[in-house]
Amino acid sequence: MSIAEPAPVTAPWVGRLTPGTRAALITLIAGAVTLLLAPYLPWITIWPDAWTLPATQWVDTGLGLVLNLIKPAARWFSWLMEFPMTWANFALVSTPWPLVIGVVTALGWYLGGASMAALGFLGLIFVLASGYWVESMNTLALVAVSVPLAVLTGGAIGILANEVPRVKSAVQAVLDIMQTVPTFAYLTPLLLLFGFGPVVGLIASAIYAAPPMARNVILGLERVEPEIKEAAMMSGGNRLQQLFLVEIPTARLQIMVGVNQCLMAALSMVIIAAVIGGFNDIGWEVLLTMRKAQFGQALLAGLVIVVFAVVIDRMSATLATDRRRFDARVTYGILGATVIVTALSLGFLPDPATLTLLDPVADSVDSSLGDFTAANGAALNTIKNGAMFYGLLPLRIGLDEAVLPFTWGFSWTPAMSAGLFAAAALIGAVMALRGNVVGGLVVLIGAGILETGVAQMPWPFVLIAVAALGWVASGWRLAVISVLLLSTILISGLWERALLSLYLSGAAVFACAVVGGAIGLLCAVSPLAWKIMRPISDMLQTIPLFVFLIPVLMFFQIGEFSAFLAICAYAIVPMIRYTRHGLVTTPDELIEAATSSGATEWQIMRDVRAPYAAPTILLGLNQTILYAFAMLVIAALIGTTGLGQSIYLALGQADVGLGVSSGAAMAILALVADRLVQGFAEERRKALGL
Amino acid sequence: MKSLGLGIALTAMAGAVGATELGAVDEPIRLAINEWTGQHVTTHVAGQMLEAAGYKVEYVTAGYMNMYQAMEDGELHAALEIWSSNVSDDYAKKVAAGGVEELGDLGLDAKEGIAYPAHVADICPGLPAWEALRDCAQQFATAETIPSGRLVDYPADWGTPGADRMTGLDLPFKAVPAGSEGALIAELRASTERKSPLLITFWQPHWAMSAYDVQFVDLPVGEDACFNDPAWGPNPNAVNDCDFAPSRIFKAGWSGMADKWPAAHEILSNYQLSVADQQPMMGAIDVDGGSVEEVVADWMAANEAKWRPVVDEALH
Repeated sequence: MSIAEPAPVTAPWVGRLTPGTRAALITLIAGAVTLLLAPYLPWITIWPDAWTLPATQWVDTGLGLVLNLIKPAARWFSWLMEFPMTWANFALVSTPWPLVIGVVTALGWYLGGASMAALGFLGLIFVLASGYWVESMNTLALVAVSVPLAVLTGGAIGILANEVPRVKSAVQAVLDIMQTVPTFAYLTPLLLLFGFGPVVGLIASAIYAAPPMARNVILGLERVEPEIKEAAMMSGGNRLQQLFLVEIPTARLQIMVGVNQCLMAALSMVIIAAVIGGFNDIGWEVLLTMRKAQFGQALLAGLVIVVFAVVIDRMSATLATDRRRFDARVTYGILGATVIVTALSLGFLPDPATLTLLDPVADSVDSSLGDFTAANGAALNTIKNGAMFYGLLPLRIGLDEAVLPFTWGFSWTPAMSAGLFAAAALIGAVMALRGNVVGGLVVLIGAGILETGVAQMPWPFVLIAVAALGWVASGWRLAVISVLLLSTILISGLWERALLSLYLSGAAVFACAVVGGAIGLLCAVSPLAWKIMRPISDMLQTIPLFVFLIPVLMFFQIGEFSAFLAICAYAIVPMIRYTRHGLVTTPDELIEAATSSGATEWQIMRDVRAPYAAPTILLGLNQTILYAFAMLVIAALIGTTGLGQSIYLALGQADVGLGVSSGAAMAILALVADRLVQGFAEERRKALGL
Repeated sequence: MKSLGLGIALTAMAGAVGATELGAVDEPIRLAINEWTGQHVTTHVAGQMLEAAGYKVEYVTAGYMNMYQAMEDGELHAALEIWSSNVSDDYAKKVAAGGVEELGDLGLDAKEGIAYPAHVADICPGLPAWEALRDCAQQFATAETIPSGRLVDYPADWGTPGADRMTGLDLPFKAVPAGSEGALIAELRASTERKSPLLITFWQPHWAMSAYDVQFVDLPVGEDACFNDPAWGPNPNAVNDCDFAPSRIFKAGWSGMADKWPAAHEILSNYQLSVADQQPMMGAIDVDGGSVEEVVADWMAANEAKWRPVVDEALH
């Protein structure tokens, strides 16, 4: 098979194959071979225990040593962080609530005028009415300390990457790891290092919130015009002066986008901080109500977090635009009125904890959930059984095992397998003859996967398939890296669980891509649809996901279908947003050109907008994949098996090794998927000349 | 009925001879508040006893599974309701390392078992006898477990006692682990609302026992032989063919407590609370919407005879 010796007959034929065709062909052959050999060589399907290295134990021992070494420094740091924490807490909790509301309203006016002031005022009134005022202020105190920490760390990382280009790719990898390793996986080591209490939550949220800041700082500094840099250099400033007096101010707007993203990320970690406790915050309330399966109350507590997210997001987003000034006299007026009202009412103020104005609403939401479940039990069961029998089960264990008399009404026979492959081969052949060779081969590969099931795919096939994909997406480097990373999962004995996770998140990503893409398309065509979907998307992304587990469980019980739905609820949002964004931002010239050449609305969508939006939609898919993996851990609360469950087990048993290894395995799956999709997106972007 | 009224044999307490020092009364004793109401009641009763003795008490929310590191570090001083059926491996590690010590049984009589909401008895008429489950298994089947019945088991990190029973008794049920306590409650709630069949691993004292009228299945009473000797019990080929091993509920604390607050250490070690006392308080909070502090304070005032002697004994 040497390339140096061109065989006169095959060479022109092989040469005519595109890289995609070659990769698909190799994958198909690997799949067929492993499928044929699997009955004779059991190690092809199941990685033998004897080949497994006790990696989780090594991680445990190794980390134990390192952690003990840096523990004193960490404890000192957490002692230090207690001060700002206590101050912020004291300031927010002991300030009378009219004063807090007034200051936020004034800030709203200062940043965005009347609408922003109204948003801040109404938002905080909602928080007050929910009866969770004190808990909310505790949460805000946590965010108030963790965000500056994350902004400083992220900013420093970003500047480092900008100043020392050699470390840039290493920094990118570190940022990826910070965002993809599930927080639950490293909570135990954090507890060990930093001790008990809110500081652990603080650090966990800073770790998660720093990367978006760093990425935006890098992006902002990269985009500073060379002329500006030269001007700074010529005026004789040293490097520090150039950086802080010229480049950073120029990149201000992009950096502010980073601050905004950082705030949102920190807020989404609030619930994770509550799992450790030590802090009577709003996340703890969500956990308590979730434990009692009180949907109404959990939703109320969750909405408090959504309100904060929306207020903080909209207000900080104004920082990222060149905004107009609003009359300062109004700001002072609101502040003055607030002080007077507070001073007058001091002593008469009701204790916010006794305010339960929204409890009746919560109760009625709760009971209507119960009524709905009772009324539609049979229909819900039909939906679930249909999805399990005809969708999820065959995908997981393959048609050969999922098709049984009590699921499909008949048994799967070898003849049916043969029929399936024959049909796939026929479709594949037709597609190949019509010029789509890759598509035809993919259909055949798909039939093979459907026959065996994702969770039972032979590992050599998975490795070869990923290598082939990586090679097509971006070249040999990605192929080698992906295979090496996946091999570490294989060797550490987490392969089976990883495949289960892959199956569940894969199914969710597929559903999100189809449904989310369709919704995104609808929103691109109809402004009304977007008006309805936008707040829903906002809520889905910021509400603690624990809240949704209750209705999903009530409707569909413990099991994979519930977990699948919970993952979809979260992961579908980026698909909707990016699809719509890609479709509506097609340059006007292109559309005008198409219109003038007589294209219909639908033709423009299919032939102009869709291809142009492809890179953006692929990025949305990429985000959907990352979100789906992130949600796997939360879905484990429903009762899934896979890496998410391992991470929970490890958290409960304080098993540092298992937790970190499972977290790493999950990050590896997410990273490989991310790189593959980004590779394809990059290729599309080049093809479009962007 | 074979209700496992387990007389918890209290070991003779180390003699409370003479007055015990109060110790550092100016520094607050930090008690762990975990994720469930019963534990809040237990902890607040203990806290108010300590306050009656002249201590300052601080209640700190703490994740049940992850609190032992804090206890070893002396940042949490005691946790008063630890279930032996569901205790983090970390606890044993910290006890072995000497940072955490056990403070004796709480005296709360717990029972775990295979359970069902009352309406399920209509679907499977032989209940509560366990033998009935063999013929009813089909009724409990779902998409994930077909052709077996479905048993909702504890979350995976609490162990698999339900699955062990099913194997031991050779019942055609497949155990599905719940992911969390919330998932168990949601199952109970949905089953009650929909009048659908449900078999679940559950325990008492728990507020849901009365809220969803949960009944236990009668299983052969367990004795040691059941867990070691396959020949014992209805299934001659397997162990675990009986009811659950009784679980113990105990207290634990920071090992430095005896030196820093000697009397508090003694009070918490001798502190006892029964199901009969705890369950009504749980109901007053979860069902009637009372606050923990008030409900407990009312109980303390009405039941001084139950707790005062423990405080007095430590002080005199």
